[in-house]
Amino acid sequence: MTRLEIAIKAAVDAGELLMNNYGKIHETKNKESLRDIVSEVDRLSENKVVSLLQEFDPNSCILTEESGMIGNVSSEMWIVDALDGTVNYIHNVPLFCVSISYWVDGVPQIGVIYNPYAKEVYYAENGKGCFLNQRKLSTEKIDISMGISSMAFSGRAYNPSKRSCEFQIFGDLNDISQGCLRTGSAAMNLAYIANGKFSLAIGKANKLWDVAAGMVIAKEAGASLDYNITDEDNFLVDYICSTSVSKDELREKIDITYLDL
Amino acid sequence: MKKKILIYGAGAIGRGYTPWLFNNDEYELYYVENNTHLRDEMNHKKSFTSYRTKNNKYESLVCNFVHCFKPGEENPLDFDGIITAVGPRQVFSLMQVLKDVECPIVLFENDSSLSEELKVMTGKSNFFFGVPDVITSNTASQDKLDEDQLSIITEDGVCFVENGASSMGGDIQYVDKTELDKQWAAKLFIHNTPHCIAAYLGYLNGNKYLHEGMQDDAIYQIVEGAMKEMNTSIVFLFNLDKDFVDWYSDKELSRFSNTLLFDPISRVAREPFRKLGLEDRLIGAAQLALTAGVKPKYLVLGIMSAFLYDEENDNDFHINILLNSLSKEQFLEVIIKIQPHEALYKIMIKEWDSSLQLLKGIQKHD
Repeated sequence: MTRLEIAIKAAVDAGELLMNNYGKIHETKNKESLRDIVSEVDRLSENKVVSLLQEFDPNSCILTEESGMIGNVSSEMWIVDALDGTVNYIHNVPLFCVSISYWVDGVPQIGVIYNPYAKEVYYAENGKGCFLNQRKLSTEKIDISMGISSMAFSGRAYNPSKRSCEFQIFGDLNDISQGCLRTGSAAMNLAYIANGKFSLAIGKANKLWDVAAGMVIAKEAGASLDYNITDEDNFLVDYICSTSVSKDELREKIDITYLDL
Repeated sequence: MKKKILIYGAGAIGRGYTPWLFNNDEYELYYVENNTHLRDEMNHKKSFTSYRTKNNKYESLVCNFVHCFKPGEENPLDFDGIITAVGPRQVFSLMQVLKDVECPIVLFENDSSLSEELKVMTGKSNFFFGVPDVITSNTASQDKLDEDQLSIITEDGVCFVENGASSMGGDIQYVDKTELDKQWAAKLFIHNTPHCIAAYLGYLNGNKYLHEGMQDDAIYQIVEGAMKEMNTSIVFLFNLDKDFVDWYSDKELSRFSNTLLFDPISRVAREPFRKLGLEDRLIGAAQLALTAGVKPKYLVLGIMSAFLYDEENDNDFHINILLNSLSKEQFLEVIIKIQPHEALYKIMIKEWDSSLQLLKGIQKHD
C-alpha cells in the first residue's frame, strides 16, 4: 500500500472504532482545561491508528496527540489526531473526525480526515488533488461576505492575558461574513473549506495534529493557506486558510496582528 | 433562411451523431468545445466526416459547420436550438450561460433528471431531455483518420426528444413523456448497463475497442447475462412490452459487437463512480433487479468489474486508491453508499471473493 492508502485505511478503521463507541463514553479526564479533555476512546483510537501505521510503515516516526512522539525522531513523520473533536464526541454532537497526515521536512505531503458519522473521507496528496469519497474537490473563490468563517482557539493555558485578542478576531469575522463558527474540530473546519461549506478557517496556537491533515486537504482543493509553526516544542501553529480572501486582503478588513503569520 | 443550431461538446454525440439530425441544407451548425487542439483543428478545416454504420456498411456525411467557439465566446441568444453533449457532470457549468436563452435546449446527457433540475434552478421551461438511441465512437479507424483526422463513426439510430422542443425540427422523433420514459428505461438499463459492463470487462481483458472484448466468450456471457437480468426486471417493473425488450436487447448485443464502430473502451468506461451512483446503470440496475425479484448475479460481476477500472488517466482513478485502502465492507458502505441492511450489500459481500477471482481470470493487463 502507498502511504496515502495506509492513511485512508488507518483513518477509516479508527473511525469505525469511534462509531462503535459513540454514545457510550461517560468517563473523561481534563488535560489543560475544561474543554481539553481525553476519553478512553481517544486512546483506543490512537492505538488503532498507530498499530496500523507501524504495521504498514515500520520504523516510521509518529507524532500523536495523546502519546507524543513515537519512534525515532525523523524529518519524515506521521502526525495523528485519532479523535479531533472529543468534546463533541462525548456529548453526542456528530462533528468529530480522525486526522492523519504525513509530513516531510516540515512540509505537509499527505492528509486524510475521516468523519465517521457522516461517512466522509477526505484525502489529498501534495500535487495530486483532493477528494471526498468519490468526488474530486475544487474550491471556488467567493466573497467573504457570502461565506461561513470558522475559528479554532488556542488552549486555555496559552497566553491568558491575550485571550481577548482571539475573541476580537472571532467577533470581527462574525461581522464580515455570514457568521463565524467555533465547531470544536479544527480538522473539520479545514475539511469544510475543501468541500466549499466554509470559506475561511483561522486558528491561533492550534496543535499541529489538529490541523496537519486539513492543511494538505484544503490546499489541494485550491484554498490559500498561510501557516506558521510558532512553537516547535509544543507543536503550536497559527494559520489562515481561505477560499475567499488572502491573508493580505483579510488584513485590510480586520485586525489579525495577533496571529503570528 | 437556415436555422442555427449551437452544439456544446464536439465529442462522440456532438460531432459524430448530431450532424445526421440537422442536414446542411436547412441548418447551420456551430460548436462550443473546450479542447483547444480539437477546436483549432475544427476551425482550421471547417468540416469533418462522420461515418454511419448501417447494414454492415458505412455511409458518410461531410459536416460543413460554421464555427467552433471557445467556451464563453458564443452568444447562445443567437440560435434557434441548442444541444448539449458535454456529460452530466459538466452541464451545470452551462447554467449561467443558458439562463436567458428562449429557444429549445436539448440535453443529450444520459441523465433524465437533468432537464427537470435545470428548469427548477433557472426558472425556465425550455430545457428538454433527449435520448439519442445510438452508440457513437469518439474516433474512427486509422484508415479513416488518415483521410480526415476529425473523422468519427456513429451508428444509425433514432433520436427521441420531448415534444416541447419540436420547433427545432430535424430528423428527430418528438414524443410525449410516456414514450420518452419508455425509451429512456430501455436505453438506461438494456443499453447503458451492459454497454459499460462490456467496457469494464474489455478493459480487464486488455482490449482497446468494445467489439474486441465482445469476441471473448467469457465476456460475452457476462454481458448477455446482465442484459437478461435487466430485461426481466424492466418488463416486470415498467410494464414494457416483452417483445420490444427482446428486440432491443438483441439489437444491443449486435451493436456492442459491431466491428465497424471502433468504440473506445476508455470512452465508455470513463468515470466509473458516476456509473456506480445509487440510481445509475450499475448499482441502480442491480437494485432494480432485486426489486423485481431477480438475483443480480451477472450485474454484480459488472459492478465489480467497474471497481477494478484502474486507468490512471481517468478522472476517477482514485477508485483504485480507495479499493486498495478499504475493506470490502468499508468500500461498499462509505464509498459506494450501500448499507449493510440492504440485500445488494449482503449479496456483494458474499460474492466478493469469488467474483474477484472470476474477473482476475479475465484480467490480462497488469
